[in-house]
Amino acid sequence: MKVSISWLKRYVDIEEDPKTLADDLTMFGLNVEGIEDHRPDFTGVVFGKVIECGRHPGADKLSVCKVDAGGKEMLNIVCGAPNVRAGLNVAVAVNDAVLPGNFKIKKTKLRGEISEGMICSETELGIGSDPGGIIELDFEMEPGADLRERLGTDDVILDIEVTPNRPDQLSHFGIAREIAALYKRKLREPDFFPLETDDSFLVKVEDHLDCPRYSAVCVDNVNIADSPGWLQDLLVSAGIKPVNNIVDITNFVLMEMGHPLHAFDRDRIIGDTINVRRARHGEKLETLDEVERKLDNDILVIADDEMPIAVAGVMGGRESEIRTNTKRVILESAVFDPGAVRRSSHSLKMDTEASYRFEREADIGITVRALERACYLIEETGAGEPGRMITDRIEKKDSIEDIRIALRVRQVNRLMGTHLGSGELVELLERLGLFSELSGKDLIVSVPSFRRDVKAEVDLIEEVARVYGYENIGREEERSSTIFSRVSSLDRLREELSSFLCARGYAEVIDSSFMDPEDPETFEWRKDDVRSSPVRLLNPLSVSQSVLRTSLLPGMLRTIARNASVEQEGIRIFEMGKVFLPVGSGDGLPEEKQHLTACFARKNRPVQWIDKQREYDFLDMKGELETIFEWVGIDSSVTMERDKADEPDYTFNWLYKNELVGICGMIPRRVSNRYGISAPVYYFTVLAEAIHSLGVDEPAYSGLIQYPSVKRDLCVVASDRVRFSDIRNVVKKRAKHLEYIRLFDYYRGDNLGKGQRSYAFRLSFRSPDGTLEDKAVDKVIGRVLDGLRTELQVSLRME
Amino acid sequence: MSDDGIDRKVLEQIEREATDRLRNAGDLETLEELRINYLGRKGVLTLALRSIGQLPQEERPLIGSLINEIKGRFNSLFDEIKAGISAGISDEEPYPGDPSLPGRRMWTGGPHILHKVMKDVKEIFYRMGYSLAEGPEVELDYYNFEALNFPKDHPSRDTQDTFYINRDILLRTQTSPVQVRHMEKYDPPLRVISPGRVYRNETPDPSHASEFHQMEGLYVDRDVSLADLRNDVTYFIHSFFGRETNVRFRPHFFPFTEPSAEVDMTCFACSGDGCPICQKTGWIEIMGAGMVHPNVFKFAGYDPDSVTGFAFGLGIDRIAMLKYGVDDIRRFLANDIRFLSQFWRGSWVGAEK
Repeated sequence: MKVSISWLKRYVDIEEDPKTLADDLTMFGLNVEGIEDHRPDFTGVVFGKVIECGRHPGADKLSVCKVDAGGKEMLNIVCGAPNVRAGLNVAVAVNDAVLPGNFKIKKTKLRGEISEGMICSETELGIGSDPGGIIELDFEMEPGADLRERLGTDDVILDIEVTPNRPDQLSHFGIAREIAALYKRKLREPDFFPLETDDSFLVKVEDHLDCPRYSAVCVDNVNIADSPGWLQDLLVSAGIKPVNNIVDITNFVLMEMGHPLHAFDRDRIIGDTINVRRARHGEKLETLDEVERKLDNDILVIADDEMPIAVAGVMGGRESEIRTNTKRVILESAVFDPGAVRRSSHSLKMDTEASYRFEREADIGITVRALERACYLIEETGAGEPGRMITDRIEKKDSIEDIRIALRVRQVNRLMGTHLGSGELVELLERLGLFSELSGKDLIVSVPSFRRDVKAEVDLIEEVARVYGYENIGREEERSSTIFSRVSSLDRLREELSSFLCARGYAEVIDSSFMDPEDPETFEWRKDDVRSSPVRLLNPLSVSQSVLRTSLLPGMLRTIARNASVEQEGIRIFEMGKVFLPVGSGDGLPEEKQHLTACFARKNRPVQWIDKQREYDFLDMKGELETIFEWVGIDSSVTMERDKADEPDYTFNWLYKNELVGICGMIPRRVSNRYGISAPVYYFTVLAEAIHSLGVDEPAYSGLIQYPSVKRDLCVVASDRVRFSDIRNVVKKRAKHLEYIRLFDYYRGDNLGKGQRSYAFRLSFRSPDGTLEDKAVDKVIGRVLDGLRTELQVSLRME
Repeated sequence: MSDDGIDRKVLEQIEREATDRLRNAGDLETLEELRINYLGRKGVLTLALRSIGQLPQEERPLIGSLINEIKGRFNSLFDEIKAGISAGISDEEPYPGDPSLPGRRMWTGGPHILHKVMKDVKEIFYRMGYSLAEGPEVELDYYNFEALNFPKDHPSRDTQDTFYINRDILLRTQTSPVQVRHMEKYDPPLRVISPGRVYRNETPDPSHASEFHQMEGLYVDRDVSLADLRNDVTYFIHSFFGRETNVRFRPHFFPFTEPSAEVDMTCFACSGDGCPICQKTGWIEIMGAGMVHPNVFKFAGYDPDSVTGFAFGLGIDRIAMLKYGVDDIRRFLANDIRFLSQFWRGSWVGAEK
């Protein structure tokens, strides 16, 4: 809402400079988002009279003048303008004046002649573009009088953010009312033309819920012309283009009182009735903006006996608009249902000053007042002869009356943390035009129709807080909470995992929740894979962002591709983010799961002089996941199995207590190629929520064994049907006092025989009962080898 | 080696000797000679392994594996010493001539700046006694709007352009729906924060993103007041931005709080003198807050006469931009590692920054 300070001054005194006013309003809840200063940008420019004017002795084009600028002495001023002459009224920038561009005027010497100021042109003052010479003022003032206010528009426009609950602030009078409350000043009402109600013509309202009040008046002998200058200036300052006197007056009342009026040409309305009704299907109306609108039953219209003449509360029709030959006018001042106007303006995509106000609920008590104001201006400016009588259809008489709300003093102080008495409350509310009476210890407050946003006690408390000043509210005494933080162990697990990965050289990324609906196909996920049925948006920003991600991988591949273009030689990234799976709960919401997914590609370390770079491989990825599970504390219980369903993905699932807790794999090259990445990409996902809900055992103390360990290395040969995990299981099952088994060599080659592999591993033994004898260990080794031979046909490798 | 075959003792003796000799080898030539000496076709260990055939059957596996062990250890020590000699490292000079050579490095990594800010903010509120509450991002219209006192077809919804899944389901436009969900689940008193992602159907520009992050706060107890809200919020701002920051509360409107306020803090760029960043006001808006509206309590099943409470919401992306001077909100989700790594202590390439 743009308001002109000059306009506001018609209703309330404002002494503050615009910056102070803006700050004060902002702290009063009327956030001033911008100040447009239209005032001249100069100081120290005064009214002066050129008394004498003579040629400069040293320069042909310069004159030397004696100027009366109010001081004891005449000023001696050198001037170069061609139109300077004795007897002229001029604008003089005296010593210390500051002109636009921070140009400071100082006493100086020009070609040997003293010059004690400057006689100004419009250009020099930044108020016009007359290059011809100095300004010739056509009015009289006391010499030395400041010219700031007389030159230029002297107006400042405030751009105020009006919140949707405060339609009463969508007018100059409404803002003036707030300023009066803010500074405890008197509010001046404008002049009105008294009208009486006699229902002089027929208004038929089909549904009173759509139109709770409809007031109208006739104006005869209309004389269409331009509005007076002052009215045009005010409209322009509020950003409205003047049209003609009748239209301008309706707009003026809109901007002044906040109530939208509409003027119809009486002689273009068929019949004697104004109908407020829903449009019939197929009806059409050409609106003032010259667009033909197709109407339907959802749209509320004003109609004459034959057809719609306006979209109610939005815009009038072209047929009945005010023209230069209009002789009789009907002025409409109504209140339409906010929902009805909102439906019309949305379905017709029309946002107007009128619809904006009706959608926020217009003041039902003001319709007649607005007509009285318009009629006053019509008569005052000779635009026509308003009739004395009006029609005023109002369904519920009490809807325009004050609402009475009880306000408990204790509740005010409880909510605000203050210690105010009832007297103070009465005073604070009165400033806003909310009058109260005492009822016991508490208050009954009367709320007029222009403050329909105040519906309940809490709304009154907000008003009290606002007028009292938020900045004055503060608890001096320390208050200590009796509520202690609970630690979210899931959150902690997630945070620890993130920190762990960051420390291991991963860059954390945060990506969009949207993905491309093509992604599942690009990734070759099967049609029945839950990831292939993402949740769709009804109104996406673009097709490529039209579904919710079911996996973090597509986004990560895009991130890798983008970063490849800035020559990242190796990449290690992870994201902790939500995926949305369409198997929701009963309320229809998708299932949201937090995934931690990491990817890496290309080189395993920065290029350096000592250790050589190599390409990442499958075992790097597996090792990372193993390390994480080890660090989380579940490594000894997880198992990895190939996800056969996902054959092309080289995907492995990690299970803990039979539940999926991790996934890892390699993105097939043809898939990563489609995202513009030439290297293979390895990834793993950790399901922190699953691990958390399955539970991780707290580490337990078991005592340290003081006896030394005994280590043995074994090298065995196995066929390719045997896996190392099988060997490890047999060893673990058979080896008493085993501390650990660690593989240190793996080999497959022709010299072993076809399909044969060798594994060399170290076994460490330690017993709590004493130092292990070689013999005892030998026995265990014998049992292990036995087991390997019988269960897996694995034998000791002989050179 | 004794004539009457090999046993453990002999082997241990061989290993000790070999280790000493390896350690004392000063150059690659000597080292290679030692390798041939022990592991060559006629090397000591090679011969030893061949000779186990002469041992009794039951001793063979053990002695065999012992020899292999020794060979393994010999090899790894050999490799280590060879690498040391190649690089010029010795005990006398633990670096190869030039101590200014960079050391062995892995990649460095680091948290996303939004995550770091989120964590810092969470920790401040944890210290004050807040706990964590979480809620879904795909949300029912009911929780996002209706239960927060935004009536259907009301202009107050216009300020939040919404992505819809269908008529009743949407992407939450704010973290506030967690308020009602949490109150439905737990009885008062409660004091929680809820960080998370929110969505607005807006064309992105340097100061608007369609996906960004907020943190909701909620404190409900018997007599929580506006004064308490000011205390908590001020404590947070002082902790996060520094004690010299001024804070002001400005009346505002939110459907789900009343009285409502917007919270401003001193502009970080001009310290309050007024500059283009704060639009010459000297203040920067940082969060919305207010006392929980009685209607919201009713929707959540609380009695508005027996409890009061406050709620606040702050933009994580916004305060990250303010604190670190990031000029374009879209940078956060663009994931350019050159951007991300600016907020780490190390750098992505492991070299000088």
